Amino acid sequence: MHAHNPYLPELATVKEVIQETHNIRTLRIVLDDEEKMRRFVFRPGQVGQLSVFGVGESTFVINSPPSCKEYLQFSVMRAGEVTQRIHQLSAGDPIGVRAPLGNGFCFEELKGKDILFVGGGIGMAPLRTLLLHMIDHRADYGDIMIIYGARSPQDLCYRYEFDKWREGKVDLVLTVDSEFPGWKGRVGFVPTVLTEEAPSPHNRVAIVCGPPIMIKFVLFNLKELGFQSDQILTTLEKRMKCGIGICGRCNIGTNYVCVDGPVFSVAQLQGMVPEL
Amino acid sequence: MVIGWGTGYDPLHVTPVFLRGLEDVSRLIWNPLCVQNLTGYLVKGALTPPLEEGKKIGICVRGCDSRSLVALIQEKLLSRESLHIFGIPCRGTLDVRRLMNESGLSQIRSVTIQGDHLVVQNDEEAHRFPLERFLARRCLRCRHPNPVIYDELVYQPITPRTAPEDAYRDVEAMEARSLQERHLFWSSELDRCIRCYACRNACPLCICQDRCIAETREPRWLTQRVNLPEKFLYHFIHALHLAGRCTECGECERVCPMEIPVTLIKEKLNQITRDLLHYEAGLDPEALPPLLTYNPNEAGI
Amino acid sequence: MSRAIFIPRDGLHPVLDRLSAEMDVWVPVASGPQKCGGEFVRYVPGTVPVLERQSTTPPKRILLPQVESLLSYAYVKDPEDASRVKINLQAEIAAKPTVVFGARPCDVRGFLLFDRVFTGGPFQDEYYRKRRENTFFATLVCRQWDAACFCSSVGSGPADMEGSDLRLTPLEDGFLVEAINRRAHPILKLMGGEQPTKTQLEAAENLQKETTEEQVGTGDLTHSGDDFRGRFEDLEYWRSMVSQCISCGVCTFVCPTCYCFSITDEMQGLEGERLRSWDSCMFYQYTLEASGHNPRPSKFERYRNRIGHKFSFIPAKYAGMIGCCGCGRCIRSCPVSIDIRKVVENLKENACACS
Repeated sequence: MHAHNPYLPELATVKEVIQETHNIRTLRIVLDDEEKMRRFVFRPGQVGQLSVFGVGESTFVINSPPSCKEYLQFSVMRAGEVTQRIHQLSAGDPIGVRAPLGNGFCFEELKGKDILFVGGGIGMAPLRTLLLHMIDHRADYGDIMIIYGARSPQDLCYRYEFDKWREGKVDLVLTVDSEFPGWKGRVGFVPTVLTEEAPSPHNRVAIVCGPPIMIKFVLFNLKELGFQSDQILTTLEKRMKCGIGICGRCNIGTNYVCVDGPVFSVAQLQGMVPEL
Repeated sequence: MVIGWGTGYDPLHVTPVFLRGLEDVSRLIWNPLCVQNLTGYLVKGALTPPLEEGKKIGICVRGCDSRSLVALIQEKLLSRESLHIFGIPCRGTLDVRRLMNESGLSQIRSVTIQGDHLVVQNDEEAHRFPLERFLARRCLRCRHPNPVIYDELVYQPITPRTAPEDAYRDVEAMEARSLQERHLFWSSELDRCIRCYACRNACPLCICQDRCIAETREPRWLTQRVNLPEKFLYHFIHALHLAGRCTECGECERVCPMEIPVTLIKEKLNQITRDLLHYEAGLDPEALPPLLTYNPNEAGI
Repeated sequence: MSRAIFIPRDGLHPVLDRLSAEMDVWVPVASGPQKCGGEFVRYVPGTVPVLERQSTTPPKRILLPQVESLLSYAYVKDPEDASRVKINLQAEIAAKPTVVFGARPCDVRGFLLFDRVFTGGPFQDEYYRKRRENTFFATLVCRQWDAACFCSSVGSGPADMEGSDLRLTPLEDGFLVEAINRRAHPILKLMGGEQPTKTQLEAAENLQKETTEEQVGTGDLTHSGDDFRGRFEDLEYWRSMVSQCISCGVCTFVCPTCYCFSITDEMQGLEGERLRSWDSCMFYQYTLEASGHNPRPSKFERYRNRIGHKFSFIPAKYAGMIGCCGCGRCIRSCPVSIDIRKVVENLKENACACS
């Protein structure tokens, strides 16, 4: 009976916690039901609702690659009540998860294309799952470029695996907002670095995620570079409760971010009411 | 801009109007069906676009509403200089719900006042209703029908219908009942509350609006449950935050879709404020409400 | 088996007594000190139904309670490893057979939308579905409408029985009750009542016919989606229409079609519940994000979404169905008498933007 109740979380256990930045932590969790963990499938870009029982639920993208069967990974920025409590969890603690939810990336349509990831801060999380999936299937994709920026070097997530990304034949451009001692990467805001790098829009899809202000300028600059709106994908965030398209709050016009998103092309967004 | 009253979806229902130019003035009406206290619009971020610097805003107030203005001025939420107050001595407004219910009328064409009667014309004929019989409870106990603060007085002042010593007769009637009866009364009344927060949002002095403690998760005084203890707590938080501030305009009670007499709770607190602290809210813009100050030598308590 | 019975006016109590012995029966009753209002309550012998006027609150909470427990949880020590804490999780989905006696067509129409939202999407809301499957509607042919009613303007009408199981036709001396689908037959049998006379059947048929032809409300609000899109960014329009709004939740809570809800956790000690409760899109907190960003920061965006949801988004999603049943409750109960009909009618281009 419970299998049919979409509000009922699966019980899981925190396996590992990684402190990414001063306010972002990554949780690796394992479903308590081993069989379900083994059979768990999802698309890159799909999300999960994490439950801290007694506090509530919040939505986060699953940022491990689908090929990873040992755990599900979520990166959580401390902001509200639930995220605050998630930050207090450590290995061995129980947690609930409802996943996978949402649409995810249509990675099949990206095959054979050049890819440009543009990420800012915690916005690298939804990009990481797709990136790792592409590295797993590297031959299916053309040139892959990542422009990833944060305020300071200490605000970049997944620093410990940048070398591994590069080994996957990925052109990783890192940038921070201002000079820091010892920083060897670029200095400047993500949209500016994007214009400087000027990746060709030919046969390329750009996938953008980050703070709203960054997205705004990145979209503008992508257009300047010649990207069409159906060549740009982004993931949206809204306040969510049910996560299954019923409770009514995360709509943008007719679309619910929780089931019709979180991944939308800019062309889709242009057809929706302007209420972000 | 001037805020006043205009005709709503039928002649019995009045809706606030925001006059932005001379051409809007014809929408303005005044009659015993003008039930809303408009002063809340001045303080709850409701004015869009915001007023231009140095420009005044006009507002129509009855006696009770003018006291809300005084309270808001006292608490420095409004400046007297920014207002042009049209004061209207008021003989009382009607309990429209009761009128609709008892008369059973619909398809109303027009409403006029003839002497002490409200004349309602529907498709078939004219019906006369004595105003006195349908006055709202708040108006039956009114002691300040004349605006206490104004720039222009629209009609001649009138004599208050209630003497100060009778001000709290509804509270006294309630207190004459046994404790058990009162408990039963409030349990059954508050049980109907649907927590729509109309009472709070209609109150010109409930100024926390979107930051109300009834809805915050940190601190979390209330849950989403709709059981009696939660409803009790909500209404008593509401009332206690108004202790010594409430001017008894009765909006909280009027707007309640479930017809819960919630103003009574505030009346009791005001009775205590009067008896212990010798203070009546919303009369003197210079006065300091007793619970907004601290006097170690307080005599009343 | 007979498909219709007659209940004399003074015979209502025995019928409801019999029904309520077997199942939950909800009826509208008068409430409030002045008895002006009304709400649906669970019938117990002695309850006095008030069927002559629309209730203040609709029967919405019978199928979507204002608050319900979705699941309960407890933190317990792992018996095999004392250093570990485990969660005991329980979700109970139960529903009793229920009859809603004396709702109106507008009340029931709300559930037609609920059916699509809660059970027609990619995920099934089992809590709602189970209650819905166990609930029967005995619905009145409505003869009382006022200036706020407009069911005919949203594609329904005072005799619309879609979604109902039994039809109650008020006659001079009682009610004719007819089963309008097969699942209602056992209910009718349980009710007992009298065999209707030919005269009663004819009188009922005439009244039904007459009522079906009634036009409650003027105008047609069923094709407003495009007009809404055209007005979406016209903030001046929304200001001119709803400056009066005080951002309370009355319109949404008394609305038979408003279903939006919140989910919150409550805990005492080591145990707690996850609650589902009515929420209101009129509240600032409804879309407030943890970052502080709010896509609908003022009452204008919020009211706009309410109109859009009912008259544009829902019709687009559910084959033209309007997310409004025309019951008029939001108009009648609004503290500042905002008229939703006017807001929708005036969406049309070139309509005067001033109220």
